[in-house]
Amino acid sequence: MARILPFTMDPHRETRDLMPWLITGRLEPEERARVEAHLAACEECSRELAGERALAGEVAELPIATGIGWAAMRDRLDTAARQAAFVPASPPPPRRFTARRIGTMLAAQVALLAAAVTITLRVDAPTASYHALGSAPAAAGGNAIVVFRPDARESDISRLLKANEARLVDGPTAANAYVLHIPNAARTEVLGRLRSDAAVVLAEPLDTAALR
Amino acid sequence: MSDGSVAHRQIEEIGKAATPEDLRLFAGVRARERDAFEALYRLYHPRLARFLLNLLRRPQLVEEVLNDTLFVVWERSDTFRGASKLSTWIFAIAYRKAMKALRRLDEPVEDRDAEMRPSDGDAPDAPFGRHRTQEALLAALAKLSPDHRTVVDLTYFHEMGYREIAAIMDCPVDTVKTRMFHARRHLRRLMDGELTDWL
Repeated sequence: MARILPFTMDPHRETRDLMPWLITGRLEPEERARVEAHLAACEECSRELAGERALAGEVAELPIATGIGWAAMRDRLDTAARQAAFVPASPPPPRRFTARRIGTMLAAQVALLAAAVTITLRVDAPTASYHALGSAPAAAGGNAIVVFRPDARESDISRLLKANEARLVDGPTAANAYVLHIPNAARTEVLGRLRSDAAVVLAEPLDTAALR
Repeated sequence: MSDGSVAHRQIEEIGKAATPEDLRLFAGVRARERDAFEALYRLYHPRLARFLLNLLRRPQLVEEVLNDTLFVVWERSDTFRGASKLSTWIFAIAYRKAMKALRRLDEPVEDRDAEMRPSDGDAPDAPFGRHRTQEALLAALAKLSPDHRTVVDLTYFHEMGYREIAAIMDCPVDTVKTRMFHARRHLRRLMDGELTDWL
């Protein structure tokens, strides 16, 4: 249990300054305890927190992406290697087609499942306007959805979640899907790894804002 | 003892804060394994691309700075001493290179075209209200200074703590908190009409 240390500065100001990292769960236990204690007593800061959560969610889901890739870097390495005449260029690794072929075969099934899951979530999704203070750490919402094979063992699921820094947020839904939170920065790679695991039937990104 | 195993041992000693995947690949980079570097490149590419595009707002510059950054990781891997997480070290290199590129351009950093540029993320049938909110937020972000925009993105997209952000931007932690506060205030003022829709 974290010891609650007194604020060394104006509690409004510290709460206001630390709010973003309360939302993302990045405060030290002592800081969090202080901020949550103040929030429980201060209506103004609680209102501000609700607005800030909305902003945080929107920033995290902004579509910012580029189409740039490895090819330019590979050329650069080759040039540097030729100049240094040290590092021999290695051939690109052999492509694997198996996963893609299976993926195509499953596409129709996956689309159906995803639709069912989405409908279920739309009905069940809480609006999350209120958050109990001082109880659980401020958990970020789910941003991915996974369906495990019916015969997947608990130990496999637990191993997969730990290895990928994923947390269970909700589920199982009526369609036996689970909602996960995956660190935003690694979501695409983690989903790729989950899809390639034998225990996973479906792993798709979840746009929570679309459910609001 | 080969260079490779020395590198592996050093990494084991110094990299306790990084993820195992980071460490395994970085050990390979130190041993000059091109495959390990490609895997590390692919691991970091999406988040660095997002980070740099948000900061620089110019796709052609993003590619240059991103590859400059990861080329330093390849060429100067011996200078990573494990005082921070590997990701913090790499993001700090990217931030320094990006700021240098912006100074080299010597032009206003505000993106005047932001409101005209279509976002490439949503399908045409995405809900109209959501699309409008994202466009407004992109335009509002474009009006912030690069430093303010960086703190917002590192906090809310990359989910980093303020100490880690201070290490990347090489500034005091209180500066990170102040920048974040001013950025939030600006964003919420610029998003005035949209905010009421969220709540």
